[in-house]
Amino acid sequence: MAKNSTKAKGKAASNARQAKIQAAQRSSGAGANKIVVATVVVVVAIIAVVGGVIWMETSKKNQITGGGNAVPPGVSELGAGYPAFSDATVVDGAPTVDLYEDFQCPACKGFEDQLGPTIEDLASSGRIELVYHIKNFLDDNLGNTWSTKAGSAAFCAADAGKFQEFHDQVYANQPTEGDGFTDEQLRGFAETSGITGDALTTWQECYDADKYADYVNSVEEQSFQDEVTGTPTVMIDGEMTDLASIGTPELFTQAVENATK
Amino acid sequence: MTSTVDDVDTDTTPWYRRDRFLDVVGLLARLFLGVVLVVAGAVKVGHPLTSKRAVQAYQVMPDDLAAWIGLALPFLEIVLGVLLVLGLFTRPVAALSTLLMAVFVVGIAQAWARGLTIDCGCFGGGGEIGADETKYPQEIARDASFAAAGAWLWWRPQSLAGLDRILFGH
Repeated sequence: MAKNSTKAKGKAASNARQAKIQAAQRSSGAGANKIVVATVVVVVAIIAVVGGVIWMETSKKNQITGGGNAVPPGVSELGAGYPAFSDATVVDGAPTVDLYEDFQCPACKGFEDQLGPTIEDLASSGRIELVYHIKNFLDDNLGNTWSTKAGSAAFCAADAGKFQEFHDQVYANQPTEGDGFTDEQLRGFAETSGITGDALTTWQECYDADKYADYVNSVEEQSFQDEVTGTPTVMIDGEMTDLASIGTPELFTQAVENATK
Repeated sequence: MTSTVDDVDTDTTPWYRRDRFLDVVGLLARLFLGVVLVVAGAVKVGHPLTSKRAVQAYQVMPDDLAAWIGLALPFLEIVLGVLLVLGLFTRPVAALSTLLMAVFVVGIAQAWARGLTIDCGCFGGGGEIGADETKYPQEIARDASFAAAGAWLWWRPQSLAGLDRILFGH
């Protein structure tokens, strides 16, 4: 009996507490059904995330295309690097140097300012086989398309046999990161590189058609698969090098000599 | 409910234990973490390649999976951030945000421990950088402070001027 009464008392107290809680909820304006609101929020959140992913994947607003399967002279297939100084007579056992750059990358400018002349000297005298891999990942990062544009422009210059000259112009006049180039500026690089007359007209047509945009896109994709995730990256005979270990003309030349068989 | 708790708040309760003060702390935590998440998400929107590669650079998942996570993260961050700023479902949202920050801290720590040289990509950017450019301790400390704000709200989700209180009265 006593037991029952305690139970009843407990129940009554619990009911009273429940009522109090409900009253408190009512008094503070609890009108919304939590489950309904939660369902709406979850559905909206899922739509936002899934829709966002689809939109971001399909818009690709920083990517330009053009040229299809066109590859620059001396390049065998999409994704492959561009062999520079291909008319140089290569010394026996000379190593291949693969250089991965993005025309908008400030660290690449620093690298070129420091080592460009050394590398070109080694390549033109056949002591290395120099292969450029021109990437464009900074377009997405910086929200423009100038890495691809400048890359395509450089390979249009390659059609006229002036890749190296154009390449050097780009780094000598690289704008502040994010500002990008202009169409006029790139045409100016072509002119300074020694492309004139009919060749300049051809260059302009090539540039306007983004003839090598797809090629540059393919090099970006291929180099990423080859685990080149930053620029500049230097490979000597396929071995990725620590930039600090080749950071001066002397060190670079030494590394090349060490790799010469 | 609220009035019951307020009754306990007598003059003998020190100011830093009073509900009003703790609610203000909750509001600040919500706004801090919420704004951080919205900003972190917003700066990544429109940079699909960079977002994918930032996650791939951690080298903890297959590249395909990392790419999708890289695309989804900005929007997840924005959704969580907006809900925190609004103060809607503060406790579950804070719990998810705290866990997300914990995952980021673990990701950065494992990259550091494995000798990867990457930018965390926390606020855009990301990917491989020079060995002397890494900022692992700063990045971990920063994310830990975000996690602390989340943990506070997980433990005590009540706060001033949140939709939870307006809609559900708590």
